[in-house]
Amino acid sequence: MNYIVIDDSKLDCFIAEKIIRNTKNCASVKTFLHAAEALDFIAANKASDRTVVLVDIQMPIMNGFDFVEAFQKMDPGSTENYNIYIISSSINENDVTRVRQYPSVRQFINKPLTANNLNNLLGAYEPAPFN
Amino acid sequence: METLNTTDKIKVLYLDDESHNLICFMATYRFDFTIYIAPTAAKAYNYLEAHPDISVVIADQRMPLQTGVEFFEEMKVLYPKPVRMLITAFADIEAVIDSVNRGSVFRYIKKPWNDDDVKSAVEEAYKFYISNSLLEEKNKELASAYRELGKFAYSVTHDLRSPLSSLLGALEVSKDMDSLTDIREILGMMDVAVRKLDDFIKNIHEFYSIKRGLASIEDIDFEMLAEDMAIMFSLSAKMDNIKFTRKVVQGEGFCSDSASLRIIIINLLSNAFKYQKKDGTDRFVELDIEVRDNNAHITVRDNGIGIKAEHINSIFSMFYRATTEQSGSGFGLFNVKDALERLNGTVEVSSAPDKGSEFRVSIPNITKKTPVTQ
Repeated sequence: MNYIVIDDSKLDCFIAEKIIRNTKNCASVKTFLHAAEALDFIAANKASDRTVVLVDIQMPIMNGFDFVEAFQKMDPGSTENYNIYIISSSINENDVTRVRQYPSVRQFINKPLTANNLNNLLGAYEPAPFN
Repeated sequence: METLNTTDKIKVLYLDDESHNLICFMATYRFDFTIYIAPTAAKAYNYLEAHPDISVVIADQRMPLQTGVEFFEEMKVLYPKPVRMLITAFADIEAVIDSVNRGSVFRYIKKPWNDDDVKSAVEEAYKFYISNSLLEEKNKELASAYRELGKFAYSVTHDLRSPLSSLLGALEVSKDMDSLTDIREILGMMDVAVRKLDDFIKNIHEFYSIKRGLASIEDIDFEMLAEDMAIMFSLSAKMDNIKFTRKVVQGEGFCSDSASLRIIIINLLSNAFKYQKKDGTDRFVELDIEVRDNNAHITVRDNGIGIKAEHINSIFSMFYRATTEQSGSGFGLFNVKDALERLNGTVEVSSAPDKGSEFRVSIPNITKKTPVTQ
């Protein structure tokens, strides 16, 4: 499994990377402090295997919602293996509701990311609801 | 149909099907009020539409097409603001009491009317109208303040919770760590998260003290203030190898609110120290203060990472962050702007990415008698 972590906090990227590397089937982890750079990466690299993308909401310049909106405008054929998960410290209901409105977002995870909730999320994997 | 002076008088509309009553009313009160008279409901609505500042409407109860109470029931919905008063004879008193109770009519005037009664009734109605308008105004202000508070609470919970959840995550990860190097690395990052939280709380406190606190105007000795700043930032300068220079030219006395002034200078300096280039060699921060012609001109200059042109207009917004620099809370420059507004000051920014930034602040001298805007 490949992973992309998008978070403006270096510490949160570091934590996510550590936790991901501790899982059994981690092929690669890439971390991005800027959502725009992650978007460029995804546009330039079609994933041949399933790639889990963990995106924070509150980030300067391009936030998680902007990222998801831009992601959904990309060619679905080339992004089908990228699975978006929102990971945020937000406990605001509006944020959670808003996340549900994006068909490309599979789940909302509350920070901090732990080995447990990462495993749960991967266990609950279902094929993409749309393509 | 308007009288000579239309500016300050209470505007009263009188609806009655009997024209001699209308003329009599006009003749009696035209010096006291600005009067509009209408023989029909249609005419009354024309006036209400054309003059939204009519504050009192008087109607006769007995009219052929519609009673006064019926007219008011309808008008209450279409033009809710003017205060409604009914003129009526005793025979109709039951209907009137009922309409007063249902809130369609503010009060009634007995027929035949007494000149002073009508005058005092109109004045009383006008007072009621004014206090209702003020109340409506206050309600709007409150609703807007409440919306602001909602936005504020949202951002605050996020900014308080996010460093905490980072710390929890870091603790979780460190449980499986054996290498001291790894643990030191993560402790270093936790340190940043804790500082971020601490800065944020200090900034909220600053924000709160600017908003609620009373300004105290005192003589400002900029030489001393600059020295304070040098001491405050000496550790940052030393640790990060940044050269701090200060220049003060103060040829005249200057009064201001020292707390607001300090908030402005500290935040600008703190940004100048924070947003330095990681690989820069001759890093510097300069503070220039010149007091002349009753104004203090404060310039904070650095050769740090600079600000991209597209972000410059947003940097003074609350919670706006133009960089992923770890310790930014998006509060600093907002507090600067807030404090500047209080002191009637202005700020100009010039900046270029990778070259550095210059913030030029001008603050007028406040003589001790002039109160500061709240």
